[in-house]
Amino acid sequence: MSVLLESSSTSAAMRRNFWRGVWRVMKRKPSRLVGAALMIGFVFMGVFGPMFYPNPLPGDPDQITRPPSWEHWLGTDDQGRDVIALVVTGSRYVLLAALVTAVITVVVGTGIGLFSGFKRGRWDTVLMRLTDMKLTIPGLPLLLVLSTVWKFSSAVQMGLVLGLLSWGGVARAVRSQTLSLRERGFIEAARGLGLSTSHIVGKELLPSMAPYIAMNMLIAITGGVYSQVGLFFLGVLPYESNNWGQMLNTAVFRSGALTVPSALGFLLGPLLAILLLTLAIVLVVDAMDEIFNPRLREE
Amino acid sequence: MIAIARRLAGHLARGVVMILVVATISFFIVRSIPGDPVAAHTQKLIEQGMSPEAAEQATRVLYGFQPKGSLWAQYGDYISGLFTFDLGQSVTHAGAPVTDVLAEAAKWTVLPVLAGTLLSFLVGIIMGVYAAIKRSGKLGDVLAISGSLLHGVPQYVLGLLLGAIFATLIPILPSDGPVDILFEPGFNAGYIGSLAEHAVLPVATYALSAYGGWILAMKSSVVTVLGDDFILAAELRGMKRSIIFRYIARNAILPLFTILALSLGLLLGGAVFIERIFNYPGLGKLLLDSITMRDYALMGGAFLLITVAIIVANILADLFYSVIDPRVRSGEEVSA
Repeated sequence: MSVLLESSSTSAAMRRNFWRGVWRVMKRKPSRLVGAALMIGFVFMGVFGPMFYPNPLPGDPDQITRPPSWEHWLGTDDQGRDVIALVVTGSRYVLLAALVTAVITVVVGTGIGLFSGFKRGRWDTVLMRLTDMKLTIPGLPLLLVLSTVWKFSSAVQMGLVLGLLSWGGVARAVRSQTLSLRERGFIEAARGLGLSTSHIVGKELLPSMAPYIAMNMLIAITGGVYSQVGLFFLGVLPYESNNWGQMLNTAVFRSGALTVPSALGFLLGPLLAILLLTLAIVLVVDAMDEIFNPRLREE
Repeated sequence: MIAIARRLAGHLARGVVMILVVATISFFIVRSIPGDPVAAHTQKLIEQGMSPEAAEQATRVLYGFQPKGSLWAQYGDYISGLFTFDLGQSVTHAGAPVTDVLAEAAKWTVLPVLAGTLLSFLVGIIMGVYAAIKRSGKLGDVLAISGSLLHGVPQYVLGLLLGAIFATLIPILPSDGPVDILFEPGFNAGYIGSLAEHAVLPVATYALSAYGGWILAMKSSVVTVLGDDFILAAELRGMKRSIIFRYIARNAILPLFTILALSLGLLLGGAVFIERIFNYPGLGKLLLDSITMRDYALMGGAFLLITVAIIVANILADLFYSVIDPRVRSGEEVSA
């Protein structure tokens, strides 16, 4: 009993130290706090944002494609709707699809990378050839061609397709991590003890790769945002619901934002949202890098 | 030399397999499009008042393959056509061979991509050296963050921002197509000047979007070289900073040349956005137009050509790597 208590109190202490370390890393560069705050803001926007606005958004025929003003900070769209309201209500589709993309990318990529790196041999060769092939076929042109067959109608479907097309990089990276980890002492010891493969992979390999996988997940979220917004921007997908890519498409090709200054706010709204999201993720990944790689810390 | 030849043969074989795979993908995607495009075209002609036989004949001429016959026979025709560069005919370009349409579009993609890549390479590696040397100072921080941001932001965001700033807000640069139609095409000052003026924004977008990657790659490469003994020796011998700088740059730059080939391939794949934004009649725009116009032979051809370009870039990158890195040249597979 006392042994149990002792071990739980040391793990609690370790956890406290970890969070103190996190706080120290975050505090050293204020930019990282900004990144974390932005990130929380985006989550909030995606989950609760649409609740603050009526659905559908009211348009005003007298306010079509207006430049920024006090009433509409980023102007209005071609139906007289407020651009900021459009960005907020459009965020849910974009962020949900990106989240699904990232989860699938990371789960499939990690699974294949772990299996391939741990098993080695024939399966490894086959899987890696497949991965290389996937990495070589250019993603965007393939998506464009696929858009003639698939309709990506909901955010979840969109995320599913994007995720299934983008696990290649993660698989390669996880495989090389696995290859280097499996030669380390603690894995060899576990093998020597005769522990099962599922135990070694689940309890020994995965935890030591968790931070790395988490970072890949964040990066995959930006990838998911970029490709779906890009697809909607190019105009190859049918208009399903309001989202950032569709706003870009309408702003540029219907309202002529690259020639008419009054449509600029309409264009800048979604662009600003994408830039801020990228900034948030870059800053948070930078902080995570230092939290999980203590060697990077300059004391 | 034999080792390189063997590598080349291996790569070529793999490249041909890849091309066949991509060709197969595009063939079956076109055939699985809901609403058979060939039947739809025949139907349209009949509705326009043609007799069914004439309509079928006209469709056959246009699409360049027998609409009847088994799927596998069509597939065989398609693949054997590939080897003679016969990709069928474009519906939207008055039945011109797809190969000709692609060749015409390719130059509008290749030249801006090349110009943008070389520009960003030159600026990026110089900035990368500074980012590495000053990495614990303010300048290094700013360079590294700007590198990650530019590297992270998608091409179309950069393109749209540049367009919004320099074509709409301060209208000093054109964003509508490759050249003013006022000028007579040919070798005259007006035409060439107009070409150059219209190329500024697309080339700048290519350059900016690649630049972040160069800074980051060069920075990490320089940091590795900085730890090498010969730099320490040079510093101890009291060599001038500028000479040490040159030592560092020369040694750090080699691995980047291979990425150069890869990034050329990548930019070709991403050209769709920039060509759509700035209305450039290159391969990406061709692919997009062929999708909206339902010109499937052209769509398959453009997709295939972009992929082939990327495969070739990969092979070149790998060969280049084995030429500059003696450890690879010795014949052992290092990269496996």
